[in-house]
Amino acid sequence: MEAQPHILVVDDDREIRDLLSKFLERQGMRVAAARDAKEARRLWPLGRYHLVVLDLMLPGESGLDFAKWLRSQGDVPIVMLTAMADETDRIVGLELGADDYLSKPFNPRELLARVRAVLRRASGEGGSAKEPPAKAVRFGGWTLEPARRRLLNPDGAEVPLTGGEYELLQVLVERPNRVLTRDMLMDLLRGRQAGPFDRAIDVAVSRLRRKLEDDGRNPSLIKTVRGGGYVLAATVERS
Amino acid sequence: MSRWRFWPRSLAGRTALVLLLALTAVQAAGLTIHALDRVDLQRFAQAREISARAISAWRTVILAPADRRAQMLAELELPQGLSATLDDEPVARLDQPPIPPPIARMLRLDLLGGGPPRFRPREILTGWGDRAPTFLVSLRLPSGEWLNLRISLPPPRPWHSETFLIAFFAMTLAAGLLINWAVRRLTRPVRALAEAAERLGRDVNAPRMPEQGPTEVAKAAHAFNTMAERIRRFVGDRTQMLAAIGHDLRTPITRLRLRAEFMDDDEQRRKMLADLDEMEAMVTATLAFARDDSAGEPTVALDLAALCRTVLDEAADARPDLAERIGYRGPERLVVQARPVALKRALANLVGNALAYGSAAQLVLTGAEGPGRAVRLAVEDEGPGIPPDQLEAVFQPFRRLEASRNRETGGTGLGLPIARNIFRAHGGDVVLENRPGGGLSAVATLPG
Repeated sequence: MEAQPHILVVDDDREIRDLLSKFLERQGMRVAAARDAKEARRLWPLGRYHLVVLDLMLPGESGLDFAKWLRSQGDVPIVMLTAMADETDRIVGLELGADDYLSKPFNPRELLARVRAVLRRASGEGGSAKEPPAKAVRFGGWTLEPARRRLLNPDGAEVPLTGGEYELLQVLVERPNRVLTRDMLMDLLRGRQAGPFDRAIDVAVSRLRRKLEDDGRNPSLIKTVRGGGYVLAATVERS
Repeated sequence: MSRWRFWPRSLAGRTALVLLLALTAVQAAGLTIHALDRVDLQRFAQAREISARAISAWRTVILAPADRRAQMLAELELPQGLSATLDDEPVARLDQPPIPPPIARMLRLDLLGGGPPRFRPREILTGWGDRAPTFLVSLRLPSGEWLNLRISLPPPRPWHSETFLIAFFAMTLAAGLLINWAVRRLTRPVRALAEAAERLGRDVNAPRMPEQGPTEVAKAAHAFNTMAERIRRFVGDRTQMLAAIGHDLRTPITRLRLRAEFMDDDEQRRKMLADLDEMEAMVTATLAFARDDSAGEPTVALDLAALCRTVLDEAADARPDLAERIGYRGPERLVVQARPVALKRALANLVGNALAYGSAAQLVLTGAEGPGRAVRLAVEDEGPGIPPDQLEAVFQPFRRLEASRNRETGGTGLGLPIARNIFRAHGGDVVLENRPGGGLSAVATLPG
């Protein structure tokens, strides 16, 4: 990975585009900005971009169609900016292969954190980013649906999770049967979770166990490892 | 009040009662006239019979040998209401009132005086007996004896006829059933209108009323549909306006957020970001209320117990200072059919209110006690509660209590209306109650 990540920002609002470019440049990134899909397509061959920040609501060609086109061009990570609380847009975006999403009006620092996390994952895990995102991940009878950010119990009933619980579960499910120390978990989660999470790993694990009907004293799914770590003891199937 | 104890409350009941009373009266009168007519006919026939028998009795007596007259008279079969005796004296006397002419005509007493001269009585005395209505006729035989006829016509008793009673009750019953059926049928549109108005109150997008039936009913239904359509358009316009404002505000808020990142004064930036957070919360709430997007979300099987704990955990993370006073009592698992995102928002609003105004949030979840019963969900706080007359008013959009404004606890004034909309869209409801021990309780129900 180059020292200076190259970001393409696609947003139709000039002020947001300029401010966002300035903001990301101040964080040590190189930024190119496009006002719509047409301009973005023109810019695309001119640079090697590490990540695209894409507004879903664009004049002319929609953000979704442009994302589809981007996917056909390679595996550049996409962070989508969606209309507020627009579930369907978000789900479609994530199923299309957006790596993360934020709803407008977003917090710039959270956007920065997500951009960095996506970049880290894309470079750190190398080839794994190439495989299409799983629609459903099954483990021990439970099902995690990443696009909808939801957990289904063995009977198919949705079990709501807090943001922290969901992020933790996703990290665990992505690395089954691997011991993750608290430090590793904190490191993996910090990029995704804005706000103080450090003290909450043990709390989140115990809450998660309760929701997974995992006996806290004798857990079978999320096991505690002597010396301060956790491991998901289950076979994980992706589909 | 007591005068109207039997006055039914419903329109159908009143109409039926009035119709039934009127019909009963008309029927009673009609049947009586009919019965009197028949009685007249009966009396006429009776009178004819009596007069014929009386004449035949006279013939028998006058033709019989003198010594056998009494015996032959006794052997005569006489109809009811007629008796004949041979006496030395007449029973009819001149001092008695005369037989009224219509009755005399009816009895055809004139026939007794007719016939061949040798059959004619030597003298005829008639009179109205002491014991009315006995009519007395005394006919003098050539021998000087008197044939005394006592005629008593039975009094007319039209209501004693069995057929009268049977007819009266049968007709009343038939009329009653018919009236009941017809009135129910006729007042059904009124009930349908009331139900439609009730439905419209709960759901602006309730289906239209069918515009059929009698002219007046169809007209009323049409007027109702027009009114509903206007309300729908009004609500729709308002919703669209709110949504547009909320939507358009997102761009400037995003710009301001970005701009705040370039501010050098950390304190000012912190304050500005806090203001922006508040603005965003208000825009989010307004959009949620305006779009009522819970309707678009699919209903799925959902662990309500896990949802409750999730909302409480998130609230505890956001307000660590109050974490000790946030708690859950209820089953470990409780699966219901619901819209997860909407229901979470509703619950978060209730818990958020409890924490903001009551500094505590104890959530008590109770499963449905049997089929058809509701799941009960109470969020209890330890605040001062709400004056009883305001318990319902706070569910109105943008309605905030004075106390809340003064304390600057913020809030959009949309939390409770949104929560109520969501619970009602699920077929449940939410109300506020002051707890006997102090504090407020938001009690929500969901179909089990």
